[in-house]
Amino acid sequence: MTALDLVTLLSQAIYVVIFFLVLWRYVRAPTPAHLDMTIFFGILGFIVVESRVAGLLGVTQPAWFTDLIVAAVIALPYVLLRLVDDFTVVRAGIKGVAALIGLGLAAIYAYLEAPYPVAWTLATVGYIAALSLYCGIAFVRAGRHAEGVTRRRLQAISFGTILFAVEVLMAGSAGQFQDPEKTILNATGQVLGLLSAVAFFLGFSPPAFLRRAWQAPELRDFLQRAASLPRLPTTLDIVRELERGAAAATGSRAQIALWQEDDRKLRVWTPGSNAPLDIEAGQHFAGRAFEQQRTIFSSHPVRDDPQGADVYRKGRVGAVIAAPITAGERRLGALVLSAERPPIFALADGELSQLLADQAAVILESRALIDHAAKVRAREEATRLKEDFLSAAAHDLKTPLTTVVAQAQFLERKAMRDPSAPSDLLGLQRIVREGQRLAALVTDLLDAARMEQGRLVSDREPVDLGALVSEVCSRQHASPHECELDVRGAIVGNYDRKRIEQLLDNLVENAKKYSPEATPIRVEVWQHDGEARISVHDQGIGIPPTDLPKIFERFSRGSNVDDRKFHGMGLGLYICRGIVEEHGGRIWAESEIGKGSTFHVALPLGEGRRLN
Amino acid sequence: MIHVWSGAGADRDSDLSRNRAVGNGGGDRAATRVLVVDDDPSILDTVTSILATEGYQVKSAGGGEEALALVAAWRPTLVLLDMRMPLMDGWAVAKAMREAGSKVPIVVMTAAENAKRWAEEIDAAGHLAKPFELDELLACVEKYGSRDRKN
Repeated sequence: MTALDLVTLLSQAIYVVIFFLVLWRYVRAPTPAHLDMTIFFGILGFIVVESRVAGLLGVTQPAWFTDLIVAAVIALPYVLLRLVDDFTVVRAGIKGVAALIGLGLAAIYAYLEAPYPVAWTLATVGYIAALSLYCGIAFVRAGRHAEGVTRRRLQAISFGTILFAVEVLMAGSAGQFQDPEKTILNATGQVLGLLSAVAFFLGFSPPAFLRRAWQAPELRDFLQRAASLPRLPTTLDIVRELERGAAAATGSRAQIALWQEDDRKLRVWTPGSNAPLDIEAGQHFAGRAFEQQRTIFSSHPVRDDPQGADVYRKGRVGAVIAAPITAGERRLGALVLSAERPPIFALADGELSQLLADQAAVILESRALIDHAAKVRAREEATRLKEDFLSAAAHDLKTPLTTVVAQAQFLERKAMRDPSAPSDLLGLQRIVREGQRLAALVTDLLDAARMEQGRLVSDREPVDLGALVSEVCSRQHASPHECELDVRGAIVGNYDRKRIEQLLDNLVENAKKYSPEATPIRVEVWQHDGEARISVHDQGIGIPPTDLPKIFERFSRGSNVDDRKFHGMGLGLYICRGIVEEHGGRIWAESEIGKGSTFHVALPLGEGRRLN
Repeated sequence: MIHVWSGAGADRDSDLSRNRAVGNGGGDRAATRVLVVDDDPSILDTVTSILATEGYQVKSAGGGEEALALVAAWRPTLVLLDMRMPLMDGWAVAKAMREAGSKVPIVVMTAAENAKRWAEEIDAAGHLAKPFELDELLACVEKYGSRDRKN
């Protein structure tokens, strides 16, 4: 027995084994693809076994038997074309033409007597090789558009198909050569044939372990990224990533439908389209999987879901798996996997899709929890702000009240004991001062409340800012600070005079409050870019850079402010901001610790100018 | 001594008895040393002047450090303590006092809603919720100041 004989025997045995494996598959799941595979390997097995049996017995076959074998060989590439059609779409015309040519060739062979003319043999070989090559190219193209396991399967099939075409060419032309070329061609053909058979088997019907191995890289990649998915900016981003991951892991197309509690509908964000699609529960495969809470497989979506038939035809959807996405009791949506043809999916893909859907549920639920936590935090923050407000307001109102009440009662008591006693001037002054402090606080609180409703500014009138600034500055009598004024031109705008006065008062008083005695306060008023500009500059303690962005918020006080020295609730600048913003202007500050601060105000002039 | 400060509800009808009480209590009061701690100068001045006029020995502290120094040096028999103060708050003052071994009764003075809880937190003898009335202040000082005196 030569090496060539051994290879031949081995490959023939493998053909037969594969045939029985495929036959077993067909018996278990009689799908068109399994049928075509059984026919394909059946023909191969038949030719192989027949030649071996004939060789062993040394019998000459009758002419009709030879014709049958020739017809079977001619049928092979046609069956291959059917297999292409099982996995991807083949144009109807091509199948018809191939069938006609095949039948014609077989008929001519039945008519001819052996030995056949060389030209005929070569023409037949050419037909078989060409059709096989076409199938190979079709599989390559289908593989390019697929991903993951499907891509690998289609690559194996196209590899097998091209090997098959080459093998046919070699075996068919071997007869035209003498030894040793004939033997070499035969041997090479045998090896190629064996390789193509194995590639076909692995591609058409991969064993479970190989399928899992082919799915593993994408699945692992997806699971690795799963932990980071809940932190993506939007739920839609998460959905897109989940779809991408599920598609890669199963080698199919994937779409996620999310249940919208408000609309009581499932929503699908179709790729490339901005408008999402709403699906009722129970409608289409997503709706059915969602409603029935089970995985649904359809190998004929056009028949099983006539409502969506157009979409399936247009989108070349020939098989669908839909799995519910459910976290515990919470139904979140459904994962829908679709493929061009049913054999793209294996039985195990039902389980895999449910696993992926469960993974999606975990990720979406984590996202919901993150969102919920953020909402709770925001609510707590709001509550805390309110509590801060209440406790700050309560504390700051009660403190001066304590003095007023206790001091007044004490004066009353003293007067009752001895009505002729001289009045306690210090005590009276304390009451007056704390009463005023209380009044200012109440005014500030009411202003802050008004501001929140945007009702701070009322009656507008033409206001000369320069005149108003000098009025405010000159009013601050008995102050150890000098007010330096720099008013460039008459700047008149249409403002609420009382509020602007309050704003200037506040800024100038702040400047004085937070700067050492005898340092001047510089106030400038000018016009710039159609805006009135005011700046108040002091040489005071300054504002720490970290506090600067917060100073115009309510209850915000500089961290370097000693509460004992400077009374206040932290409402002054907040109200200033309100006054400026309601006028359509801006307020900001710049500062350097220990050097001083400058507060800037920009107010629109346009309206005021027209009025004047 | 039977003290007749009747608290917040007292009205003018009890003026006579009050006057008597002032007269009777004068001698004891002189032995009561009250330390008033508050960061608000107005409250500090008011409470100090009231208690001084009523015949108590009074000293004031505008902050925690100052208060602790006075507790050690002057040995008050009662401390009126504000809780929310910058730099060193009432809790810190109370803790430092106890750690230094001082058993002087403390009365918490605060504008906060939870005056009672805060008083419990630092194991204070009592509390005065701001704004308090004159009668409440005096009753409180009399009650806790005199108790310590008896001890």
